[in-house]
Amino acid sequence: MNNLTVHPLIGLLLFPGGLFLLASGLLYEWIDRKLVARFQNRVGPRFIQPLADLVKLLAKEEISPEGVNKPLFFILPVVALAAALTAALYVPMAGFVPAGSFRGDLIITLYLLSVLTLCLGLAGANTISRFAIIGATRTLTQLFSYEAPFLLALLGPAIAAASWQITDVDFYAQQHLWMAVTQPIGFLVALVGLMGKLELPPFDSPEAETEIVAGAMTEYSGRGYALFRLGKNIELVIGLTLVATFYLGGLANPVQFLIKTLGLLVVLAALQSLFARLRIDQTVGLWWRVGALLALAQLLVLFLLR
Amino acid sequence: MEAQRKFIVPIGPQHPALKEPGHFQFSVEGEIVTGATVRLGYVHRGIEKGAEARNWTQNLYLFERICGICSHVHATALALGAERLAGVEAPPRAQAIRTLMSELERIHSHMLWLGVAAHEGGFETLFMYSWRDREIVMDLLESLSGNRVNYSVNLIGGVKFDVTEKHHDEILKGIEILEERTKHYLKVVTTDRTFLARTRGVGLMTLQQAELFGAVGPTARASGVARDVRIDAPYEAYPQFPVRLVTDDGGDLLARFKVRTRELFESYRLIREILNHMPPGELTTRVPRRIPAGETISRVEAPRGELFYFIKSNGSEKPERIKVRTPSLCNWASVTQVAIGHKLADMPMILSGIDPCFSCNDRMVTINRGSSSQVWTWEELRRYGIEYYRQR
Amino acid sequence: MKIRLGTMFGDIIRSLFRRPATQLYPYERRPTPERLRGNLVWDPSKCTGCQLCIKDCPSDAIELIVLDKVAKKFVLRYHQDRCTYCAQCVVNCRFKCLNMDDQTWELASVNKEPFTVYYGKDEDVAFLLEKMARDNAGESGCPE
Repeated sequence: MNNLTVHPLIGLLLFPGGLFLLASGLLYEWIDRKLVARFQNRVGPRFIQPLADLVKLLAKEEISPEGVNKPLFFILPVVALAAALTAALYVPMAGFVPAGSFRGDLIITLYLLSVLTLCLGLAGANTISRFAIIGATRTLTQLFSYEAPFLLALLGPAIAAASWQITDVDFYAQQHLWMAVTQPIGFLVALVGLMGKLELPPFDSPEAETEIVAGAMTEYSGRGYALFRLGKNIELVIGLTLVATFYLGGLANPVQFLIKTLGLLVVLAALQSLFARLRIDQTVGLWWRVGALLALAQLLVLFLLR
Repeated sequence: MEAQRKFIVPIGPQHPALKEPGHFQFSVEGEIVTGATVRLGYVHRGIEKGAEARNWTQNLYLFERICGICSHVHATALALGAERLAGVEAPPRAQAIRTLMSELERIHSHMLWLGVAAHEGGFETLFMYSWRDREIVMDLLESLSGNRVNYSVNLIGGVKFDVTEKHHDEILKGIEILEERTKHYLKVVTTDRTFLARTRGVGLMTLQQAELFGAVGPTARASGVARDVRIDAPYEAYPQFPVRLVTDDGGDLLARFKVRTRELFESYRLIREILNHMPPGELTTRVPRRIPAGETISRVEAPRGELFYFIKSNGSEKPERIKVRTPSLCNWASVTQVAIGHKLADMPMILSGIDPCFSCNDRMVTINRGSSSQVWTWEELRRYGIEYYRQR
Repeated sequence: MKIRLGTMFGDIIRSLFRRPATQLYPYERRPTPERLRGNLVWDPSKCTGCQLCIKDCPSDAIELIVLDKVAKKFVLRYHQDRCTYCAQCVVNCRFKCLNMDDQTWELASVNKEPFTVYYGKDEDVAFLLEKMARDNAGESGCPE
């Protein structure tokens, strides 16, 4: 293995986990926003903006609305962020060897990434706000629609590498031709699935502000909202890392990490600005009618070729 | 009791989908809307009453402020009515300039609508681009009149400024760029798959429905109603520069997009024609400060549809009564009916499909008479108020 | 017409290599158009005190304070914050003493005071302000 290694404790707290993850989450959010702005011929925010937003939100009062289960209301954002942070331990962040790695950690990572969405859904359903409830319904509906195709799409490279361990797939990808070339359908489904997972436009109907204000997060303010947002940013970084590891020839070092994930982010930002928002029924239809079938076809081809 | 068991999604008066305050209640089953009600009146400003305390000239500016987007047509409607009562007519050049401004305003209003509708549909990129290009026409309006929004073009009996040779070239140049861009936007709204998925077949209103609900303007024309005040009862310089009617038989949101963008082309053509055949002459004519007693109506085609003014003068410096009926008010009925059966996600687009302007139409309150409503006399209300504050 | 995906692709790629359309307003200012209706300015030398401008002002933004009618000593009190910039007063003035400046148009302040502007001959304005200070009330200081 040619990946670099770091002490586990540093890996957990500073790099590549912990602080580094938080910082990179904010950085990637800024790059995403800036890119979308430039695509729309706007100036976009300055690099400090995501951090400023975070600090502002953290400093604000957190209001717990009437009719919620208070402990649940406060613990959900924490669980969401913790899940996202934990997921980072198993992916080759910044091209380093993951802090923890065992057989089958791919499944764990994918489930940890879904925890955030589940928490969001639960958070929405916990309140009595009608916008939040509709948002939660939509979030969970969307979860059920993209999850299977996304999983199938990430399964492709794993089957090719004959391992459920992310480091093995990474290693395999480094040795072989980019799997974006050999499995283009899977790459597409994974990329678009990531957009669905992050609720980016055109899959942002769970938080479509012109219909349901902020969806499941409507009742959140201050700290809880900040944590949810941070969790999403981190999920963006992890998602990009995963897709880059699997489909863009692995991540051997930090330079590769930067180039590949940023390249993906540019594509993601372009896709975000190209489409109108899909209604939730259209999203579900798209995923089950097109996404799942495509991913299945890809898997079938893989099995036949083995 | 049935009403209380429904799941009602309130939109407004404060809601990100609404740029102005209005209140809508959509009762939903899952995502499907089963009923819709509108409650207006949050931005009632008492303009009609205020008119009675101001003289005719001052009212010109007051009525211009009924709507920030179609401000010029309001002042024009009032000026035309007052001129008719006074028995004078603005000189041809003034009429042409008024028409020119009306059309420029229509461009700016339709471009604004295109952006807002795209935003409601979650198509932020189209929103940003159409608003960027709208700046061109805003700059033209500014350089012509000196103001970007309430241009204050009209005087009773004429206009304030002339269109010089320099402006002539400036406008033609701006229009050329805008025409190019509008062609592109027409292509986007009619061919983009994701956007079509949100507009085609959504908010369908048939010709019969449009007639029944009394829809006006582009909303009605998108259902095939051939009605346009500029054609039916030409005013200003429209007799000299005839407008071609733009209609579409679709009746859905897509048709409304098509009608409004195609109206933009019509406006570009008109502006070119007016600029190239600008009648020479004076800009103003003398109108007495006291408008002779009488009543008149004044109809003009605002960007959103037919704008109707009833004006009554008692021969003094101030009008006795001015009644305004704005196009948005006529179109609300169509929204509440058309919304039923659609998905909640379509509501913002159906709402914005009529290009609503809340502050225009807040002069009437619809009271929803359910079982729980009660009617109080003024005396009862007064006693209740006294009692209420005593108990506090 | 053919239905396509991503019809705005050309636009977004082009604007990636273009300057953003946003104007960073306080840092860069566009030249104002010639006709811009900015703040009102009054030239006291030609004014006859006919008050036609005040009669038609839709927002009571101007007041003419007569210090001496015979000697044509007037001070014009102009409320920028009330003004709607419709230029009706400019049209009404027969002696062309009112004009709208195309350079000064920014209206931002933390209090209301800077929005009340006095125009007139220096000594007249000074006299009026002094008198107002003596009367110790902002509004009552205007002798009719």
